[in-house]
Amino acid sequence: MTSYTISYSALSTEVAQHKAELMSAVEGVLDSGRYILGPEVEGFEHEFAEYCQAKFAFGVSNGTSALHLVLRGIGLVPGDEVITVPNSFIATVSPIALAGAKPVFVDIGDDGNMDPQRLEDAITDRTRAIIPVHLTGRPAKMNDILAIAQKRNLFVLEDAAQAVGASLDGKRVGSWGHAACFSLHPLKNLHAFGDGGMITSQDPDLIALLPRLRNHGLANREQCDFWSFNSRLDSMHAAMLRIQLRYLDEWTEARRKLAFRYNDLLHPYVEVPNEGLGERCVFQTYVIKAERRNELKQYLNEHGVEALIHYETPIHLQPAAKSLGYSASDFPKTMKHVSKILSLPLHSNLSETQQDRVVELISNFYT
Amino acid sequence: MKVQYSYLKEQFSNPMEVYFEDLRPLIASGEFTFGPFVEAFEKKFASYIGAKHVIGTSNGTDALILSLKSLGLKAGDEVITVPNTFYATVGSIVAIGACPVFVDCNERYQIDAEKIEAAISSKTKAILPVHWAGCSPDIEAVLDIAQKYGLDVVEDACPATGATINGKFAGTFGKVNAFSMHPLKPLNVMGDGGLIATNDDSVAEFIRIYQNHGMVDRDHNSMWGINSRLQPIQAVIASRVLDEIEDSIRARNRNASRLDEGLKQLEGRIQVPLRPQTNREVYQLYQIGAKRREELLPYLISKGIEAKIHYPVPLHLQKAAEELGYKTGDFPVCERQAGEIVTLPAHQYITEEQVDYMVSVMCEFYS
Repeated sequence: MTSYTISYSALSTEVAQHKAELMSAVEGVLDSGRYILGPEVEGFEHEFAEYCQAKFAFGVSNGTSALHLVLRGIGLVPGDEVITVPNSFIATVSPIALAGAKPVFVDIGDDGNMDPQRLEDAITDRTRAIIPVHLTGRPAKMNDILAIAQKRNLFVLEDAAQAVGASLDGKRVGSWGHAACFSLHPLKNLHAFGDGGMITSQDPDLIALLPRLRNHGLANREQCDFWSFNSRLDSMHAAMLRIQLRYLDEWTEARRKLAFRYNDLLHPYVEVPNEGLGERCVFQTYVIKAERRNELKQYLNEHGVEALIHYETPIHLQPAAKSLGYSASDFPKTMKHVSKILSLPLHSNLSETQQDRVVELISNFYT
Repeated sequence: MKVQYSYLKEQFSNPMEVYFEDLRPLIASGEFTFGPFVEAFEKKFASYIGAKHVIGTSNGTDALILSLKSLGLKAGDEVITVPNTFYATVGSIVAIGACPVFVDCNERYQIDAEKIEAAISSKTKAILPVHWAGCSPDIEAVLDIAQKYGLDVVEDACPATGATINGKFAGTFGKVNAFSMHPLKPLNVMGDGGLIATNDDSVAEFIRIYQNHGMVDRDHNSMWGINSRLQPIQAVIASRVLDEIEDSIRARNRNASRLDEGLKQLEGRIQVPLRPQTNREVYQLYQIGAKRREELLPYLISKGIEAKIHYPVPLHLQKAAEELGYKTGDFPVCERQAGEIVTLPAHQYITEEQVDYMVSVMCEFYS
């Protein structure tokens, strides 16, 4: 295994700075004897909803399960179609298939997110929902997407797995669609020390269903309204997340500062992720678009920089998607995009010296 | 005297430092998704129960879902189980698109093996016996029937970690078997967790891919999968609890025997289930049948004894089961028991004095 001098991720120093606070939160849970749901989960849900400017929030096992529960909750039937983008983590799409519907892809725009102009062409009379992804922590074009969805009466589920705190026109992700899903995976900006996920929603029907959907369909201990899943955020994680949420804006600002510093230094060599009008990006990943990408990646890796690709094979070309019948020529923008993208190290431990070293290497590579 | 149902404070917060010490290397490693701590615990548990493969999952429900999914069941296939179980047994069957078919239980609250054959149809693919209350069904009889009809057996050993039949552990009889590590299970964690045990290599391989988004490596997924992973924090906790499980099983058996003995004098009013010599039960629930249960329960509670009912409404009569078309009278034993069962606290922290107190309160009630 290669050992990198500048690694892609590091569990944050910020967390270490608040260790005492985090430990005492865990102690509180252990003393309470409530390890499943209960006041810490409820408290975090309330605070998270407020943070996202959403009506309600629900803690679940993980981000994938969050998407799955929402799609189950809107009652998809076989043959229904759900539209999303092919350049995401696989878990954006698998819940569509597992909920019994057919994933339908649309190409992306220059921002790397769903292209609203192509959305209408993909809508059929079987379309039930649209899942725009706020990939890398950049908000998708929600104004346009919502306008189309409203016109066609479609459910909008934001995949905000990478985007907690991102906003468009001052309105946070998680507050735009009928529902949104977040991941609290350890490599996310706001994370559990293990797996966790959140659902936010503005939709009264879904809000009424979700507490049962994530807990065996139980209305109470004795009454099961429908067969369902177990998908709960651990109370211990919730208690620690409540502490971290207080510092999230501060941490996000630090990320943004590093990202913009990269932008300033790298723009002569590669295409950098500039913010669009009205966007506030949270840079869960810092992704450049580079010529001779594979060579650059290898060059950086060889020089101790852990650069990664998110994600090399688009979802419509995965073996799992074979039955959907897509081909390599279907989404030209996505194909071009994924051939150029490269994620550079960006985390709270990253020093300016390290950042300068990454920039120097990239500059050396191209000159 | 107070006799409490939950023992989590005694177990985990007195003192909690030992668990924190155990967690230190994990936190230092930052391995919060899969990784060496989960693998080490899986191996340790495999060696404890004598299974070739053990796979950690998010929770017991997911362990059941993954187990059933690994059998390749499809929509319309039938799975036989009991109506006196936790909702998740049936929820997991429905989750994979199969149809639950119920068989009545016997006076030990376990599946009545004599009634299984009548429930088998051409669509039956598997039998899902539950080790209800941490006691075991007549597993040999179930296996014989399964073999005769070419059916798979999946044990729902969620409540019964550590239980044995002729020295062989619950969860090692079926093709692939599920355990829960919910806080109120004999092998428990500080939140949700589950385990799967199997000796079948291809089943294990399928589950490991399916539980991790269907990914064969970071860039490729061979099928649509889910996210269901045992959290490393919980694996570390479970490892210590496993070290102590034989002691707690002994304590539970000591309490159960003393209760059995003390309640003999109430024969005719209290029915203690048979305890087969071949079995070591783990008493996840110490469950008995009681005349005048509706009066007894509030009486016990008024005397400080936190008795419960698991559960007052059988699953075939739940709202969730409406589509299955069952009605009152279909499972007379289970339905009668639903009106009689009482669960008394008999966990490892219950003392002899508390046992004797419970017996004396029961005698008082019936005198």
